[in-house]
Amino acid sequence: MNINHFMIGFAINSILRRGVKSFFTLFIFTVLIFLLSSILFISNSIKTELGLTLKSLPEIIVQKIQAGRHTNIELKRVDKLLEFHGVKSAVPRIWGYYYFERAGVNFSVVGIDAFDKQYKESFEQITENFDFDELNQDSSMVVGEGVKKVLSDNYYKDYFNFIKPDGELEKITIAATFKSSTSLESNDIIIMPKKMVLKIFGMNEKKATDIILSVANPEEIPTIVEKIKNLYPDTRVITQNDLRVSYQNIFDYKSGMFLALFIVSAFTFFMIVYDKASGLSSEEKKEIGILKAIGWKIDDILKEKFYEAFIISFIAFLSAIILALFFVYTLEAPILRDIFTGYSRLKPDFSLPFVFDFQTVALLFFLTIPLYIAAIIIPSWKVASMDADEVMR
Amino acid sequence: MIECKNLTKIFNKNKNDEHIALKNINLSFNKGEVVVLKGASGSGKSTLLALIAALSKPNDGEVIVNEKRISKMPDNFTSLFRRENIGFIFQKYNLIPTLSVKDNIILPLIPSNPDEKLLENDVDKILEKFSINSKKHMIVKQLSGGEQQRVAISRALINNPKIIIADEPTANLDAKLSIDFINIIEQLKNSSTTIIIATHDPLFFDLNFVDRIIELKNGEVI
Repeated sequence: MNINHFMIGFAINSILRRGVKSFFTLFIFTVLIFLLSSILFISNSIKTELGLTLKSLPEIIVQKIQAGRHTNIELKRVDKLLEFHGVKSAVPRIWGYYYFERAGVNFSVVGIDAFDKQYKESFEQITENFDFDELNQDSSMVVGEGVKKVLSDNYYKDYFNFIKPDGELEKITIAATFKSSTSLESNDIIIMPKKMVLKIFGMNEKKATDIILSVANPEEIPTIVEKIKNLYPDTRVITQNDLRVSYQNIFDYKSGMFLALFIVSAFTFFMIVYDKASGLSSEEKKEIGILKAIGWKIDDILKEKFYEAFIISFIAFLSAIILALFFVYTLEAPILRDIFTGYSRLKPDFSLPFVFDFQTVALLFFLTIPLYIAAIIIPSWKVASMDADEVMR
Repeated sequence: MIECKNLTKIFNKNKNDEHIALKNINLSFNKGEVVVLKGASGSGKSTLLALIAALSKPNDGEVIVNEKRISKMPDNFTSLFRRENIGFIFQKYNLIPTLSVKDNIILPLIPSNPDEKLLENDVDKILEKFSINSKKHMIVKQLSGGEQQRVAISRALINNPKIIIADEPTANLDAKLSIDFINIIEQLKNSSTTIIIATHDPLFFDLNFVDRIIELKNGEVI
């Protein structure tokens, strides 16, 4: 294809000649695509994060309910649960939330023992890497990256003083930090031997926070749930599917808000496009008339207008995408992210995982650039189709 | 070379403000001829020029140039016809004021994607011919009226047209610049270009190189 450099030069010249107007269009276009793409990037990241988190959740959680509230469950129930056909494993969990007042955040403190079957892959790796007997003897813990940051920011670089229910302090040393496959999951977690968790929370040694089950055949989950409820009427049985629905509801609610923001941005964009499409300035019309009068064909004029619109919209699109990537993944999307993650404000911050979805970018490209080009081309075509004499008059 | 047959042009036809600009005009112009169209404002001179240059279409009749019925041609063909055959000098110059002198002059050639070196050469020659080579890179709106008109003439001539059409070319010029323009037209006449000038400037009525003077009144030849 023979590229007409003069035509492209003329188009660039036209953009520069209308300096303020071109800059304003470029600015508005960039801001809108930036907003739209940031929303989609954040949404994609959290969706990915959520997917990974859901994948790591246990198949069945058995909790004891007393007076309508979750209470600790007797360890002896583990053996009974294991007797059910189809139950592959039953693991008692010792965990709880520890509120760190100075930072205003909650940590999830999880107790694990090396000889237990771990219900999470990330815990499996931790038990492989750390000697839990040694951790117990040294009063040490392994913390998530978010916890490490919060503690360091509050002068606890190497250890942390937990306040026990009786008001006494329990000094625990930070042995290491760990990073799980998802930051939502790992960011607020502190892992330490079970005995130490029992001590910090003042829990009974013969009880656990809850019991988690894995099954051989997921099809049998409803039957197993029914059997547990029959055997222990004071239990609440939560399946992975229940958790998925609950998480999904939160996500859908939040994405509903994002959708509203998305619609507002998109609406503004279409308003601008409509305004562009509804007519040209008298100066632009006259210029088209002059070009026709000196021998430009309608398609020459449209070609030039195409170059103008493409240059502006493509520069705006590219700048907006780069800015959005920087905003979301380097600056961690301040303000915008809060809409989505507001519910976890009491937990330490987590990083949005980098997810570059080509389809999202392509969707934005085809939703904005062709529309803008059409909004420029259509009124230009209307004017260029008129008699040159009429346009210049 | 150019034939106008029963040309009629009506503006705002069938509307309250309908205006008959030209009534049944029959004229012909020969190759290399210099013709002056005279008449008061609103007599139909500019409308006739616009029809000959295929800038607008007649309501009735036709314009034939070199046996081509240009008034019946589709829009893209008339544009191409203008690019290849006509150099139009407008009364108000119709330059793009924010472009440089050079960029204005090369405008008619841009769609044909010319060779850069040859184009530069042609531009330099034409700028020299009209003594505006020092203004090559200046923005047109910074030039005087006379200089702007020379840029407009240069633009009209850059594609070596066979027909030059000038609409009130001296309306915005002082006496000296008007004479300069007449000298340019005389030079063009020598290169056997057909020139049609619409004017009511008396300077043009006694020129010895003008072949014919046609007078229009209320849209009719008198």
